[in-house]
Amino acid sequence: MKRMAAILVFGVACLSVCLPASAAEGGSIASKVEELGKMDYLRVTDMRAVRRDNLLRVQFTVTNSSPGNERLHYRFRWLDADGFTVWEEEPWKPEIIYGKQNKVINVVAPTFKAADFKLELQSPHNSTSSERTGVADNPPYR
Amino acid sequence: MKLCRILLLPAVLSLAACVSNSPTTGGGVSYGDSKAVETVTTDLGSTDIQMTAEKMTQSMLQTPLLQDIIRRRGLLMASPVANKTSEYFDTKLITDTILTQLQKNGVRYVIAGDEMQNQTDELIRQNQSGLYKKSTTARVGNMHGAQYRIDGSVSSIIKRDSRTKDVYYKINMRLIEIESGIVEWSDEKEIRKTLNR
Repeated sequence: MKRMAAILVFGVACLSVCLPASAAEGGSIASKVEELGKMDYLRVTDMRAVRRDNLLRVQFTVTNSSPGNERLHYRFRWLDADGFTVWEEEPWKPEIIYGKQNKVINVVAPTFKAADFKLELQSPHNSTSSERTGVADNPPYR
Repeated sequence: MKLCRILLLPAVLSLAACVSNSPTTGGGVSYGDSKAVETVTTDLGSTDIQMTAEKMTQSMLQTPLLQDIIRRRGLLMASPVANKTSEYFDTKLITDTILTQLQKNGVRYVIAGDEMQNQTDELIRQNQSGLYKKSTTARVGNMHGAQYRIDGSVSSIIKRDSRTKDVYYKINMRLIEIESGIVEWSDEKEIRKTLNR
C-alpha cells in the first residue's frame, strides 16, 4: 500500500513537470498559440502562466530546430474571462532565436483586467511564405 | 452627334469608376499596419517607441509602489525624456504612451511642461476676460501637484564600417518621488539595429 502511494505521488509529480502547458490558464499550448503560417523551424515548447500581484504573467520557450538563426515576430492578445479583448492591439515584437536555441520569453499583461491570452507568432520561414505558395505574403514587418 | 459622343465618353468612364465597391478614393497611397515591425532604417522608429513604452508600462505596473499609487489616487507627471542621441525624434512619444497606458490601469497624472501653457491660458481666460459667469469658472490656485514624476533618457552608440552600420540604443526610465528625490523605480530597454549593405 505504501509502495502504491509512493508510485502515485511520483506519477503525479511527473505529470506536473511533463505538462507545463497546463500551468497556462485554461488550456494547452496549442489552444494559446496562433501561428501565421506553420513555422518551419520554430516551435513553442513550453508555456506557463500565473497571476501574481494582480497581473497575468506568461513565460514561453521558443525552440529553434534549425542550425541557423531564425527571426520571430510575436505579440499577445489579452482577453478577459469571457474571451473579450481587454487591451489594444500590441505591436509586433522582433526576436532572434539562434540556431538550436531554446529562448525563454517573459511577458507581463499590460492591464489588471487580463485573465487569458492568445500568443500570435510569425516567422519568415513558414508554410505560407510567398516562395512556396506563390501568393504575396504580408509579413508583420516593413 | 460626334460632339455628343465625345462628351458622353468621360461621363461613362467616370460612372464605371464609381461602380467599384471598394471604399477608397485616389491611388498610390496605402495604409499600413501601425503595429508592424518597422525596419526601414536604423533610426529609432515606431516599433522601438512602442516596444519601449510597453516594456516600461508593464515593468512599472508590477511595482507595489505603483499599485499603491493607484489605490491612493496619487498623481504622476512626466518630465521631458532627454535625447542624448545624434538623431532627432520627439521623446514625448515615449512618455505620452506610457502615461496613456498607465491611465488605462487607473493611474492619474497631471500635465506638465509645454502643455502647461494651454492650461494657464485657459485659466487666465476664464478668470480675467470677464466673459464667464463667476459660479462656473475654474478657480486659480486649485491645480494639483504630482507626488511622482517619470524621467528618462535615450542614448545610443553607433559603429560603422564600409559594409555595416550598427546602432545600440539604451532607453532608461525612472520614477522619482518629487519631494525626496528618491528614485523609486527604474528600468531600461536595450535595442540593437544592424544594417548590412
